[in-house]
Amino acid sequence: MARRETAGLARGMTMPAVLTKTPLIDAGLPGRISTHKSGGRDRWTDPLKEVPVDRIGATWAALDEVLDPELPISLVELGLVYGVELIDEIARVQVTFTSTACPCMEFIREDVKDRLEIEPWIRKVEIIEVWDPPWTTERVTSAGRTKLGRLGVGI
Amino acid sequence: MNEPLEIRDLDGTGMSALRRLILTLADSKRMMGIRYSDWLLGAPSIEAGIAVSAMAQDEWGHARLLYAMLKDVGLDPLEVEHERPGEDYASVGALDEPFDHWAGLVAAMTVVDEAISVALLGFSRGSYEAARTRVPKMLAEEEFHASLAKAWYRRLADSSHKARTLLHDSTECLLPPVLAWLGADDASARAMVVSGVTESGESMTEVLRERLRDLTALVEVNIDRAQPNSGWDEDRARGPGRPDEEAIERVRGDRNRALLVE
Repeated sequence: MARRETAGLARGMTMPAVLTKTPLIDAGLPGRISTHKSGGRDRWTDPLKEVPVDRIGATWAALDEVLDPELPISLVELGLVYGVELIDEIARVQVTFTSTACPCMEFIREDVKDRLEIEPWIRKVEIIEVWDPPWTTERVTSAGRTKLGRLGVGI
Repeated sequence: MNEPLEIRDLDGTGMSALRRLILTLADSKRMMGIRYSDWLLGAPSIEAGIAVSAMAQDEWGHARLLYAMLKDVGLDPLEVEHERPGEDYASVGALDEPFDHWAGLVAAMTVVDEAISVALLGFSRGSYEAARTRVPKMLAEEEFHASLAKAWYRRLADSSHKARTLLHDSTECLLPPVLAWLGADDASARAMVVSGVTESGESMTEVLRERLRDLTALVEVNIDRAQPNSGWDEDRARGPGRPDEEAIERVRGDRNRALLVE
């Protein structure tokens, strides 16, 4: 029987803080950034060396490193990730977009796949596009609001 | 709320009717976007041009989501979007030709875009799950279109005699094909109402009249007297005519066909 784990992020909740990973810090950014298809410069951590006990939490942590292509906060902080499900080594990620004609849709899909597929417990990523409930700025997490506020972006 | 529609339970007639309903909405959205895009460089101000640019983007996003529903009814969305001749478009006839002046576009964003939103609202309240889950986001985005449309409509209605005349004439010209499209009451439309997939043309037309009554009265157009035009073609799901060829070439992406990436 397939091993199924699932978790969504309810409005107002913060991402489960189960992992502490040390970002690679050097003068620039990790080398693999050069292959980041959207051209983004997200600060991705190295993949974990072992499969964690809380794979769902670790998947959320990895997703929280994927920045929105237009705003310097993560997809999780922006409230675009509606749920994560793991079926064996397949990660199903429910993602919405800020608008129905978001020009960055393809970049976001690619970035999510690229980030998750480097982790040892994920062999394949399936992006499930969802529109219900519709995204509004209400879905931005408190952490996301704080970061945007520091940049002078009020929502 | 209606019980969710099971696509597999639809017979041939029901399947065909749902296919047609999706196409009338998707094609109209696509053409609305084209008409907005016609004015990216010709609007009265930079700000207005940017606004229609954003609205064109929205319309195409909505069209994309609607075309994607065609998978459910056995059609290939890519083929539908990029291969069909203009003759096959089930878009509202009010969008067949480009608008000669800004007042024409303001009338279209007020009357036509609103009519499409009313049709989408009926669709979102029905039994088809994809419509229930995708259309609310579209309607939320459309609120901005409606706000801008009303602001421009009032602004023109309150300006020069020429502006009022152009707005009046454009509104009177657009209403008949819009009412024919929204109020269609042929066998296919009735099948969708009976199945609970959408609301009746009559009720949706009343919603549109209610929404626009005070606004069109500003240029002395009595929306309650406006009547649908004749010549509704049940097979084509539209009134007479077809979108202009140049627009269809842009819609299909003919010029850059070799670069199509999906």
